[in-house]
Amino acid sequence: MPELRRDPIVGRWVIIAKERGKRPHDFVVPKDEVKGGFCPLCPGHEYTTPPEVLAYGRPPGAPPNSPGWTLRVVPNKFPALRIEGELWKEGEGIYDKMNGIGAHEVIIETPHHHETLADMPLERLVQVFWAYRDRMVDLSRDTRFSYVIIFKNFGRAAGASLEHSHSQLIALPIVPYLVSQELKGSKLYYDYKERCIYCDIVRQEIKTGTRLVAENHEFVAFSAFAPRQPFEMWIVPKRHHSDFRTIDESQFQALAEIFSVVLKRLNAAIPHCPYNFVLHTAPLKEPYLEHYHWHFELLPKLTQIAGFEWGTGFFITPTVPEDAAHFLREINLAEEGGQDGGE
Amino acid sequence: MAENKPKVLIVDDEESIHLVYREELEDEGYTVLSALDGPSALEIIEKEKPHIVVLDINMPGMDGLEVLRKIKEKHPNLPVILCSAYPEYKQDLSSWASDDYIVKSYDLTELKESIKRNLAKRGL
Repeated sequence: MPELRRDPIVGRWVIIAKERGKRPHDFVVPKDEVKGGFCPLCPGHEYTTPPEVLAYGRPPGAPPNSPGWTLRVVPNKFPALRIEGELWKEGEGIYDKMNGIGAHEVIIETPHHHETLADMPLERLVQVFWAYRDRMVDLSRDTRFSYVIIFKNFGRAAGASLEHSHSQLIALPIVPYLVSQELKGSKLYYDYKERCIYCDIVRQEIKTGTRLVAENHEFVAFSAFAPRQPFEMWIVPKRHHSDFRTIDESQFQALAEIFSVVLKRLNAAIPHCPYNFVLHTAPLKEPYLEHYHWHFELLPKLTQIAGFEWGTGFFITPTVPEDAAHFLREINLAEEGGQDGGE
Repeated sequence: MAENKPKVLIVDDEESIHLVYREELEDEGYTVLSALDGPSALEIIEKEKPHIVVLDINMPGMDGLEVLRKIKEKHPNLPVILCSAYPEYKQDLSSWASDDYIVKSYDLTELKESIKRNLAKRGL
């Protein structure tokens, strides 16, 4: 019998197609064809990108936009939004519009063309999260921006156009609709219970353990109760804070550890699994929020979105989240050739 | 005299595009070379040594982004201008290997300016 489940924060309903009961090996993901040829993100090709806005790893005194880096952030060469100009907003009858002001940047996570986040050494995975924070802090000085969204597309099916590992950042002059929904939903809960809903979710997931995938002293990773995709996971800090920019040194290390474990487990369960992850954090101009809690949502790209989903906002998932968590927990990373750290 | 003219290679699977581009670019003083697909373009580059390439993306067989990767692997300093009817390929980071990305139009002003600018960067 299928089951309907409701996301407790945004109220989105999903269908868990229990009778389909798909297990990891039911998802056969063909490995992306290696394109080969010239890569504009590889060291030595810095001249093909716009001048970097951040780089780590070069020895002191080395010139910018030269090889020797371990991570680079560059503006998108063909950005979706433009950084130059004043923001203007106008109405067209009942409709609202504004010019396309924003920042669009690419975080080149590694100098190695074939390295993925799942097999990256922890100290360099830590750098990736530092870069997210450093760019957010810098862009939040620009008063035109209200929100910075950071996301990663891994695998062609999930929208990655280049195999060289990278994530993207877009600074926006508005707070995106989905984030507004989360802010509203979590505020409603807070007004009623005087508790952060995410803190309550973290406590409950640790207590029940049925959807738990990994845990360390700072973070918990669990299967979403009402997932949009099979094996959807949330990675949530145990300490309450609404704003990712406040992340501290010990959290960086713990975040890298839990991400590494989660990605290794996902890759072991479903080899070459394409995925997206998105950082959810408070709007730039909001002070500390008692009701909101920054976190990452990781969505494997294993099912298609079609008419039903577009028409209803529902998603249909053929894997029960508790089963997904069980499969992932059962994987022995030592046997899979990875390190089972962070737990 | 013809040898002194910069050589522009047009790569596009639509023959009508070649007719228009050839006429306009020859008027600008360029020698125009043509290829209707990626493999022919790669051969012409080796034989004719063009100074710049104007490359369509949406072509049957080897698409323009694959051709671009192959060109830049062997000839990183050869300027390549992507010229497509579809702006959405800008989201494909493979396009970053190009020197410019122009949305196709029958008004060739932007393309001509880009050719001029990219040749000037190389002292031509």
